[in-house]
Amino acid sequence: MKIAKIWNKLAKPKNIPRLFAAILACVLIIGFVIPTALDGDQLYPRPEPQSQMDAGLSIAPYDRGGEILKEPGTTIAEYPENSKYIGWINSYMSPIADTARSISPYFGTTIYSSPGGLIDEILYYTRGFDTILESSILMMAFIIASWLMLNFTMDRRNEKETIQNDVKRAIKSSDRIANEVEESNRKARAKQRKRES
Amino acid sequence: MVVELVPQYVPAFFQSMYTPALYGGLIVAFIALIGIAIQKKDIHILILTDLVGLAMLIVVAAVGTDLAEALVLPGLVVELAEIMAISEILISREMRKIGPKQSFIPSEFSLDMEIMHTAPNFLALILIAYGAFLTGFTGGAVAGGGIIIYVLSRKARGLPIAVVDGVGGISGIAWCLWIIGFVLFFAVPQYWLLSLFLAALGLFLKVASKMGLMGILMREEFGKK
Amino acid sequence: MSLTSIGGDLLGTIPLGDIVLYLNPLHLFLFVTIIIFTILIAISRTETQVEAMFGSLEENKVSVGMKEFKHRRFLAIICGLATAGAMITGDLFNFTLFMALIGIVNIGIVSAVKQIDVLDSAYQYGLIAMMCGLPLFGGAAIILASTGTLSLFTLAAAPTVAPMTIFGALMMLVGIAGESGIAPFFATKAEMFRTPGSPFILIIHLSSLFIIVRSVEILLIIIHVI
Repeated sequence: MKIAKIWNKLAKPKNIPRLFAAILACVLIIGFVIPTALDGDQLYPRPEPQSQMDAGLSIAPYDRGGEILKEPGTTIAEYPENSKYIGWINSYMSPIADTARSISPYFGTTIYSSPGGLIDEILYYTRGFDTILESSILMMAFIIASWLMLNFTMDRRNEKETIQNDVKRAIKSSDRIANEVEESNRKARAKQRKRES
Repeated sequence: MVVELVPQYVPAFFQSMYTPALYGGLIVAFIALIGIAIQKKDIHILILTDLVGLAMLIVVAAVGTDLAEALVLPGLVVELAEIMAISEILISREMRKIGPKQSFIPSEFSLDMEIMHTAPNFLALILIAYGAFLTGFTGGAVAGGGIIIYVLSRKARGLPIAVVDGVGGISGIAWCLWIIGFVLFFAVPQYWLLSLFLAALGLFLKVASKMGLMGILMREEFGKK
Repeated sequence: MSLTSIGGDLLGTIPLGDIVLYLNPLHLFLFVTIIIFTILIAISRTETQVEAMFGSLEENKVSVGMKEFKHRRFLAIICGLATAGAMITGDLFNFTLFMALIGIVNIGIVSAVKQIDVLDSAYQYGLIAMMCGLPLFGGAAIILASTGTLSLFTLAAAPTVAPMTIFGALMMLVGIAGESGIAPFFATKAEMFRTPGSPFILIIHLSSLFIIVRSVEILLIIIHVI
């Protein structure tokens, strides 16, 4: 193929996502060739699966030590010196969560999502800036979507004629449906009468 | 039996599982990308890109630490946000292409299940209460799901623009609560409990109201003033 | 290899927990430039395109409505701030999140136009931006798995570079190329510009330019080239 033709194809926006997907797929193949291994020295490591359940901890598998408002839990952060009160959120539980823990050992995952716990410490405190960006991305997407919806695809208040036509059509179709319902009712009644007689 | 609550070093189990998990993610991504490369219709490509996003979540989760669990959340939200905005652009484009011939009343939403007549109030209440207990992003998503169920089963047909703007404003203010909480975390660290609740409740209100509004984004004008 | 060999001496850090923003002369220059440009955009008005009509002396003015103008200005300012943040961040995942924010705001700036062609290319760019989630976040996660950290300070001080880290950096490079629309993926972004509404449209261009400069620095730090 001539290079000019390739350039022409590249100039069409419709082809670009497909080209990008193909190139990315080729790059991914490299991942199968090179040696991959998890480095053992990670931040915020978690204990082996099932180990906390086997030990019978009440908020397994998310027990990270500490005592509510008395003693901080264990948090292995990148820069502990930047977060002075590190570990306190980790060990905190709201009163309701604390009650749930004392009742049953099966609410570990639920309690983990309520205020307090290691995930909250990461999401709000040590890596809180990430969460700010993440929620602002959601906000921007919502602004774009709702603005488009309100101003373009929904806003037809001033098109009187279209509205009239559409309402007419809606009435007609609902009339038809009502007729059909009545018809089927009549049939059912006739059947019933036949059976009775 | 005494267990080590938080190990200093990643357990051998996670290390042995990393390579299979990564390969799994890469294979899913590869299949989805090849699908995109040979697919012709725009809407199919949009659905397949969501599959690529799922592959990304697998690759992130393969790390298997608490940090990875926290990083999954931003990845998930970014995919969710982008698919929402892009599908809206696709709808807008198609409506512009069709022009004024486009029907004012969209195809009827026909989903008739018994549970939608009998229990929407109860279900919505349970979900919102559970969401309020969870707080944060998870709770917001659960409570928003409750609002969506309520709206769907009541067959709501669009809201006035003022209401949509108002709920959007509430969620914006809730977002500012979270920003204040974040600043307080570093300005006055001894009040970490206050900041924690500002953050958790701010995110909860914001996400719940946004998710709820998403359920109301139906293209219809009846009942609108 | 150290952080200072590309951008110059470290001027200071802004520690926010694990995410440490840092400033050196290069970052400071980029940061100040993009902030000044954002302020200029915030106080400016849009252009009006004038098209000559065939067969008569009339002319056709293509302008931007007030509502659309406000919407665009807001998104353009957010885009400028996100670019400024990406210039000084010192954390890999934070950087990719900034890029995702810039990508979605770029789509938003042109989403309100009336031209079908522009909407179509915005949609195609959006598809790329969604696919870019995999190479950006996935690449950062692979680097996290192979080195055990996301902080650029620690990454710069690492003694060796594993092949897996280079693979992660390569994935990030593909993601950056797609998200910022450099060759051969330029067509979608170039078509997005064909609408009235400078200077807001210009921030799309400027943000990708700045992102490329910064991402080159970050990738060189990760793979220890210099």
